Amino acid sequence: MSYEVMVGNKAAATACKLARVQVASAFPITPQTTITQYLSEMYAAGEWDFDFVNVEGELTSQVVVQAASRVGARTFTCTSGPGLLYMHHPMQTTGSARLPVVMAIVHRGYKGMQPDHSDLMSQQWTGWGHQYVEHAQEILDSLLMAYKVAEDPRIRIPIAVGYDGYVLSYTAEPVEIPEQEVVDKWLPPYKAMPSVLPDEVDPSTFARGWGGGDPQMPWKVHHEAVLKIEDVLKETMDSFEKTFGRRYGNGMIEPYMMEDAECAIMAMGTIAGTCKAAVEKMQSEGKKVGLIKLRSFIPFPVKDLQEWAKKLDGFAVVDRSVCPGKGGPSYGKLRDSLYDLEEKPVTLQFHAGLGGKEVRIRDFEMIGEKILKAAKGGTVEQVTWV
Amino acid sequence: MIEIRLHGRGGQGAVTASRIIATAAYEEGQYSQAIPMYGTERRGAPLTAFVRLDNQRVRERSLVHTPDISIVLDPLIAKQQAVVDDLKPGGLVLLNTAYGPEDVKIGGNFKVATVDATTIALETLGRPITNTAILGAFAKVTGLLKVESIEKAIKKYFPGRLGDMNIAAVRRSYEEVKGPIQAVVKDATAEKVDIHVGGYGVLKDVSSWRVFTPEVDVDKCIGCKSCWIFCPETAIQWDEEKKKPMIEYRKCKGCGLCANECPVEAIEMVRVEA
Repeated sequence: MSYEVMVGNKAAATACKLARVQVASAFPITPQTTITQYLSEMYAAGEWDFDFVNVEGELTSQVVVQAASRVGARTFTCTSGPGLLYMHHPMQTTGSARLPVVMAIVHRGYKGMQPDHSDLMSQQWTGWGHQYVEHAQEILDSLLMAYKVAEDPRIRIPIAVGYDGYVLSYTAEPVEIPEQEVVDKWLPPYKAMPSVLPDEVDPSTFARGWGGGDPQMPWKVHHEAVLKIEDVLKETMDSFEKTFGRRYGNGMIEPYMMEDAECAIMAMGTIAGTCKAAVEKMQSEGKKVGLIKLRSFIPFPVKDLQEWAKKLDGFAVVDRSVCPGKGGPSYGKLRDSLYDLEEKPVTLQFHAGLGGKEVRIRDFEMIGEKILKAAKGGTVEQVTWV
Repeated sequence: MIEIRLHGRGGQGAVTASRIIATAAYEEGQYSQAIPMYGTERRGAPLTAFVRLDNQRVRERSLVHTPDISIVLDPLIAKQQAVVDDLKPGGLVLLNTAYGPEDVKIGGNFKVATVDATTIALETLGRPITNTAILGAFAKVTGLLKVESIEKAIKKYFPGRLGDMNIAAVRRSYEEVKGPIQAVVKDATAEKVDIHVGGYGVLKDVSSWRVFTPEVDVDKCIGCKSCWIFCPETAIQWDEEKKKPMIEYRKCKGCGLCANECPVEAIEMVRVEA
């Protein structure tokens, strides 16, 4: 195993190389651009055999990887913020047709160029698996796992792996690079197979003109397939650890210092890293707050969070996004997951890091104080903009 | 955990310096994180980068707010009091300047070391790219990293002959650095120039970006408004009564477009004194 001090975007490009991606296509957009640069350099240097398709926009890049995946290639694309919105339409088809495309989303907000999660959060209805990661090593590892999960013959579903632009895309840190032979063995070449869709589907229709009499059926089939990602991801995390010696919780969530915790902070992406440092500090001061890092937003780890909720007095949910008029996406989903429990912990909503606003250790200390107070019956406002 | 802030200008390699430190630290078994701060940079604009070194994987992702060490790659920026802003009390500042540490004018409770990295870079690399020419000094005065680890890291970034030249710069700066001594001036100087990147365009004081300053000869000016039209930063106001341009220097980054566009050469670009 070798290592390199590399930026997040290079970790993503390196994952493509290790996965021996056959067709990559992307349109450059800050802060994703350097992924396309690294891929182009690797292509020019002949580091492995793949096609890099230059296109005139994100819509086309999604269509290129869709078509390549349909004929049996392992594919990769990547984008940021507005570029992802431009991909919205073909992403639906990639999902419906159950093509195992893997995409890196380098988060960029809409109200300015700095990162928040509004880009990937706006794609919830496209029928992809949505994951959020914290550091450069996790980008590399998660993209490798994403191929394994996406191509699993039981589900065959596209997966998007999101990480914060600037903060992670351009920050350099040590990344362990697994040996190519080990990756080759763990992630064998992708084999096209007959459609995973029900027999009624005419493969020439791009999964739109479903036969039979029930126009609702495509949604039901798609929904159930996305839910199955949970089991496959958990299995994949176990086999990843066996082969590479690293793991991120059970794949769906990564609890951190939760052993004696009375309350949990739930956060996603890079700010979860800052939260880890904050939790270490708080627990050294006797404050029993831990972190539950949410890795998979779709499917949502309903059962895991229910199990944790049974042991906890309070849940502080930090969303790096807001659906205007509706609220924080993971907060709403957590609350609905807890509805069936007889005893529910107190929950609080925090919005932090939107528009790239810096989130510091002291911000998480404030969040920790509030949830501890609320769990003890104190009066705390339900929603806080950090 | 050790936190480091680097100040430089676009083109001097501050971001690469931060990555070399991070790589050298990992060579020695420490974890590291090198964070560039991106704003509206261009060649010559002041920029900031950060490094964290720790014996475990660095968790936090916020910027460095109270550094232990400040490294300044540019001799003009090295004159600004802002390079020691929020430095931890008793911290260290390493300046690229031809002056010795006892002649440094910025003040406060910190240790100061100096090295003439620009001269070293010019003589070993032939270009004023000071990032490697300050790293030998960094290894010596901080004792945080072995100079051999820095050389090993440099070979990863600059293979072949370029690597050898940069390593020569590192070795010279290791030998020639002066200090550290306790800062002679006890109080911070009053004058403050904003050298931190952040914010965009007209909202920002970019006066510290200038290496050359435009000066208008109003007698030569024919009032054609070309400079006013072409200034990319709207730093030129038009005096409608006198029919002459007025430069708002806070907004002027010294690009020289106005001087280039002036049909009668009424604008001269004058070198800012070091």
